[in-house]
Amino acid sequence: MRDLKHLIYFENLLQEANNDLVKQAKAEGKRAIGYTCYFMPEVLLDLPGCFSTRLRAPRCTSPDIATYYLSGRVCHYARSLLERALEGGYNFLDAQMGTETCTATCRFQEHLQQKHLDSVEDMRIIDNDDFFCEFTDIPFKNNENSYQHFETQLRAHVLEPLHEHFGIDISDEALIKTVEQHNEVCRLINEIGDYRKLDNPTITGYEFHVIQLVSLTCPKELILPYLRETAEEMKTREPDDKKNFRCKVVLAGSENDDPDFTKLIESCGALVVCDRFCYGAVESRIPIVLEEGKSPLRCIAEHYLKTSNCPRFMPQDEMRARKKRLAELAKEYHADGVIIASNKFCEYWSYERVIDTFILQRDFGLPVCSIEKEYINSASGQLRTRFQAFVESVEIKHIQEGK
Amino acid sequence: MCKIGKFFLKLFGVLFAVNALLFVVFFFDLDGKLLFNVVEPFLKKHYDDMERKDVIKQPYDMNKFPKY
Amino acid sequence: MAKKDIKKALKDFWFGKPHSGEEGGRRLGELYEDKTGLLKHREWRGVKDTFYYMYMIWGYNYVHMVTDILKYSNNPIDFFKGTWRYRWMGQTYLPVIHWFERGLQGMRGEALAASAWHYRAMVSASIQQICNFFNADTRLHGGKQNDAYRHTIYANETTCGTMFYPFMDAGYRYLPIEMIPYFVTCHVNSHTVLNYIDAVQSLGLPGDPCPMCQAEAGIFVLDDVPDSSPMVITCNEACDASVSTSTLQDWFADKPLFALPIPMQFDDPLVKKYCMKEIEDCWKFIEEQTGSPFSWESMVKRLEKQNKLQRDEWEKWEVASKTDYYPINGVAQALFRIFSTQYGIQGDFWDEASEKVKKIMYKCVEKKIKPFPKTRHRVIAWSCAPLYFSNWCTWAYNCWGLNCIINMDSLMFDMEIRTDSYEHMLEDMATYHMWAPMRRMAVGGMHHIFELWEYMERFNCDMVAMYDQLQCKGMQGVHGLFEDEFRKRDIKAFWIPHALPDCRTVSRAEIRRQINDYMTTVMHEEPLDPSLLDFDDSMTW
Repeated sequence: MRDLKHLIYFENLLQEANNDLVKQAKAEGKRAIGYTCYFMPEVLLDLPGCFSTRLRAPRCTSPDIATYYLSGRVCHYARSLLERALEGGYNFLDAQMGTETCTATCRFQEHLQQKHLDSVEDMRIIDNDDFFCEFTDIPFKNNENSYQHFETQLRAHVLEPLHEHFGIDISDEALIKTVEQHNEVCRLINEIGDYRKLDNPTITGYEFHVIQLVSLTCPKELILPYLRETAEEMKTREPDDKKNFRCKVVLAGSENDDPDFTKLIESCGALVVCDRFCYGAVESRIPIVLEEGKSPLRCIAEHYLKTSNCPRFMPQDEMRARKKRLAELAKEYHADGVIIASNKFCEYWSYERVIDTFILQRDFGLPVCSIEKEYINSASGQLRTRFQAFVESVEIKHIQEGK
Repeated sequence: MCKIGKFFLKLFGVLFAVNALLFVVFFFDLDGKLLFNVVEPFLKKHYDDMERKDVIKQPYDMNKFPKY
Repeated sequence: MAKKDIKKALKDFWFGKPHSGEEGGRRLGELYEDKTGLLKHREWRGVKDTFYYMYMIWGYNYVHMVTDILKYSNNPIDFFKGTWRYRWMGQTYLPVIHWFERGLQGMRGEALAASAWHYRAMVSASIQQICNFFNADTRLHGGKQNDAYRHTIYANETTCGTMFYPFMDAGYRYLPIEMIPYFVTCHVNSHTVLNYIDAVQSLGLPGDPCPMCQAEAGIFVLDDVPDSSPMVITCNEACDASVSTSTLQDWFADKPLFALPIPMQFDDPLVKKYCMKEIEDCWKFIEEQTGSPFSWESMVKRLEKQNKLQRDEWEKWEVASKTDYYPINGVAQALFRIFSTQYGIQGDFWDEASEKVKKIMYKCVEKKIKPFPKTRHRVIAWSCAPLYFSNWCTWAYNCWGLNCIINMDSLMFDMEIRTDSYEHMLEDMATYHMWAPMRRMAVGGMHHIFELWEYMERFNCDMVAMYDQLQCKGMQGVHGLFEDEFRKRDIKAFWIPHALPDCRTVSRAEIRRQINDYMTTVMHEEPLDPSLLDFDDSMTW
């Protein structure tokens, strides 16, 4: 396939959190608002005057100081974020919108927060006088009570602080405008991603992963022209004559902002056609529907609770339904199997991975490769062996089924 | 000695013997030793050998329960 | 034999050997058999205490273990059937007296008596729970769902028992699913739980999630959970792994399940309304499942008893913090508090024990009796304790004179619940629910976990025993800040690494070694009983 015009540019944008587009937006006077979790609606952080950036710590392999603070028994992602923060890599942030959605990232964010307590000294990790960190309470369920609660929380802990600290316009009109911009990003990402559903897809999982990540980490307004151009380019992109993959897979699991991991899977012959993991596009790029009779904020609150497939959700019907939804994704994207990857020390996905591994195989007939990984993995020979073996097993299954 | 006196003497003797025996069991931790060396290994073997349901075969019906 | 020796032998016979590192002092470490932790013989505590222990603790509790079964069991045969069926039951129930032994070792006089009453209440409550399990268990009744089954409400062990008071007048019982099969077993016989941890890991679960949650799931994996209730209430306490465990449990239990979430940012006044509504939804769920309505009278009756128990604790803490006359040792204090608050008011055992203990305590105050006369340091224990070595504080007192006055878990539910109106009750219930064990300090912002300094001052402590649960992500995430603060404040603190129920990760001997090292190299102190410094109890219960 012909190289995507902006791929190298996108790859470069992912080399640092404070990338060229972030710098440009900052230079234009916009406020950078960091977040880590899907449950913090990025659309609210993209209101005029500010922009969202989902935090990553690319190339962080040895988080030594963070390991002193968080210990070596906490997920590598959280430690890498803290290490990058301690190195000054997030000094561009004007605020961090915290969530206590998983313990490790919560602790990372609490280290950033200026708590003004007598009992523990603040570290002032983010060297920015304007910086503040605010926590929002995120419900564990998706019922009416939770929608109301989440709306109240988002108003009190996201919108109002943004307005008070930075004078951000948080009116319904501003929200509607931002949702429109957000939905355009979603539409473009979905349009690009849908090419993965073709029999011989015209985009690789790696390329899509890179594109999805830049849409999460760069100011929307600035990345949009590139996304539009890429979507146009995709319309005429021809696949290679011969399929250069041996099977297609859905990649599911915990936090994954490392496109090299996707590249590693694809180098073993499994094309990643769907990305249902934290930082993936399946949930985060579903357009937000603004319903009549409901405030935009209420619609946003409902949207994020209704669309999440996070194993943090506890209602019985939800715990069960998300297995089915994963199987349906495999069908929708014509995947031959599922790779479920949990980060080491991720408690949610450690369990979810085990259950998915049994249920998807037993009840939905899907081959599953179940692995545990670190935050940065590209050099892992062990994983390569696992993926190669999985691809072979899928091929053998195909032969046995006479495909 | 009258009958009542003999009875109480006997009773005292029996109680003393029971208490002495209990004291030996108590002081030398004979209850603990019996449980640790005999009862627990026996029960452990029983539980290890017990046939158990393979819970992995338990159905996981996606639509069995309503939303609570 | 010299006259002096005879005099000493007589004195030792009458009073027991003195608690001293000097020649002629007691040597408790020499009582142990190698590896098993069994006793070559029990300690001679002097005439009075030895026989008090024999009759009022050892004998009394053996007898009451039997009478409690007769009291709480619908049919004692079920009890034996259950013992034969469930590993956690058979392997755990019988060594209960050794659990007393480990916790009460070296104790004398008022400390021995008062601490034992706390144990007694816990055993009674545990037997009640066990009987409730077996009375209702369909597996023991040929698959029949009897009346007891229909009147039992299963809940995750970390859901506070208070939640179920409104239904108890109608004959409903709350059973914390894992409290007996997992939590109690770890204390009484730490071997049992290892089977459950291994079982869940055999499914492919990595070894690093919280081992408590692993064990909770493992009971289901080994098919070792009685089928005693038609429904389940689960909650997100205490951590991410607990939420995930619910998924596995839901699969294997396959019963109607209500998820009762605890908001994380509980200091935020905005979350209370949300929490109150979820509690009401939980009651609604129980009403739907049981057909029994919420009863205000039933709620209030038990809340008032619970409030009384809370006031009793405050009384005790007042003495503990301001005097040296508090007769409860560290392990008896911690376990009584967590057992009683989690299980809730389902009998009079808590109140009875509390009254007896208060009587002993006030006797100490009036007569100025110091139950722990060899106290060198008043210790506050922070974070969550090793369940397989919860009696470390008994060892630490005997070996080093470290008297553990209070611990973090005890301070979690530090409140009364108002009963003057439904609204007040519900509001307080929400707070109480959010302060559930391991919750109040561990989540909702860092200031709660760093309340340590306030409590240190309140309880007049000069040293911190900092539990280091290696697989608790929340506590690991504040490790460095605690180190910084200890240094900055010049606070004497030692770390106790452990893996909650799993004694294979950090052994008891290793925990003792860490404390020994601290006491010798940092504190430059000599042990009160050198025989306890190093001994092998690797196979002990």
